[in-house]
Amino acid sequence: MSRNQDDELVSLWGKRSLYHLPFVAIGDLFRSRNLLKLLVKRDLHARYRRAYLGYAWAVLEPLLLAVVYTFIFTILVGSSDPLYPVKIILGIIGWSMFSRSLTTSTKSLSSSINLFQFARVPKTVFATSGALTNAVLALISLTCLIPFYFIHDLPVTWNLLFLPFWLILLSFTGWGIGLLLAPIACKIPDVLNLINFLVRAGFFLSPVMWTYDMFNTRFGNGWHAIVAHMNPTVVPITGMRDAVLGESSGIPNYGYGLCIAIALLGFIIGTMVFERKAHSAVVNV
Amino acid sequence: MNPVMRLNDVTLEYPVPRQYRKEKILPSGVRNISLEVKQGEVLGIIGRNGSGKSTLLKLMAGVFPPKTGTIAARGSVSLLAGVGVGFHKELTGRENAYLYGALMGRTTKEIDVLIHEIQSFAELEHHFDRPIRTYSSGMKSRLGISVATAFKPDLLLIDEVLGVGDVSFRKKSEERVKDLIKQSGSVVIVSHSMGLLQAICTRMILIDDGRIIETGLPTNVLSKYSKQMKV
Repeated sequence: MSRNQDDELVSLWGKRSLYHLPFVAIGDLFRSRNLLKLLVKRDLHARYRRAYLGYAWAVLEPLLLAVVYTFIFTILVGSSDPLYPVKIILGIIGWSMFSRSLTTSTKSLSSSINLFQFARVPKTVFATSGALTNAVLALISLTCLIPFYFIHDLPVTWNLLFLPFWLILLSFTGWGIGLLLAPIACKIPDVLNLINFLVRAGFFLSPVMWTYDMFNTRFGNGWHAIVAHMNPTVVPITGMRDAVLGESSGIPNYGYGLCIAIALLGFIIGTMVFERKAHSAVVNV
Repeated sequence: MNPVMRLNDVTLEYPVPRQYRKEKILPSGVRNISLEVKQGEVLGIIGRNGSGKSTLLKLMAGVFPPKTGTIAARGSVSLLAGVGVGFHKELTGRENAYLYGALMGRTTKEIDVLIHEIQSFAELEHHFDRPIRTYSSGMKSRLGISVATAFKPDLLLIDEVLGVGDVSFRKKSEERVKDLIKQSGSVVIVSHSMGLLQAICTRMILIDDGRIIETGLPTNVLSKYSKQMKV
């Protein structure tokens, strides 16, 4: 071939098959890993830079919230479970992992418009960096559990490895659903109002203040339980508590299956919708 | 000369908010733009406010796809739009330079090499390691221009940024743009400063209502523009 390769202009918006899009998204993220790293660093930096206590806030926040909720709950129910504060802390960390990665990825298109006009960067990067930042924060805030290990003599077993697994699953699920919602939120701003409502309602509908046991003793294993397992945070948060306390809450197999299925489905549909719709949706921002 | 970007019959109209739809006014955007940017040229775009200049640059940068028509490009494209747009105000000038480099697909090591050049060109002295929120708008544009030109994109799109800053820096940035051209980069520049466009452009287009109404040498296009503005 005598044709100079420099002559070739590549079309900016080539068509790609729908079924390839999840892989396209993964490939884009992998190629942009350096940028992702910097964006996460930037977010972490910027969040606590001006605060005197810095990253300590990531640990203090769930700890202080746990104090408040324990106080409320002992008044409401008269519960005297000494491990209740630990369960609440795990609930708060798990829930905020999910809700934050959901909201940041949903809002990512409008919040980072300034950045993706600088250069041609895959837009998934900005949705993902928010979710990753929250994952790092959640991992930092896990350190507030350490004192409880000494106070309650909690078991240190291999089961603990499930703790990061469930946390990452929570973040992954929120991210996938956020990818799905992000382009819609550009066209229909009401989605943001809906998300704000869902996050507030979800706080009470997810096992943050209550536990799987409480649910079981009150509602049993009937259709209530099936509906509850549809909430993608119920099984992972319970799994986190089981991993730390070395207990088994007796989650049925379909519960595990359902939460992993929702996570994968959210990722597949989310990336497909995002790659197809996000680019043209930005016009509305 | 080789083209670095080709726009073929590109149209994009912004959606009209629901409450204004009854008014039947032509939506803003760009219409039926066909255009080629050649390697090593400085293409100036001029036109009245709201004529579609910035939209055209955003389409060229690949921020969003056109409704109809095709855009094809070669190599890296970077858009510098507005003073301090895209910079994170809690981060320092240095950190923002790294972030910008990463957006351009550079690795940290590659940026390490360029950072001294960026720092010395921007002449921000101790401000370079202070958060952007403490910068004046002139300082922000200094940082923007030195960062954007340092990474030498194949096509640099500049939207109303070059005309700012003090006289000495304006002179310097013009030199820098010419340098970029010498290294066979291309520049598309949107500005209202006729003096600047006359000084650095090799070709110009005049757009109005999203359509190209004149293409040619800067002198001709600028005189047509001045006539249009006097009406």
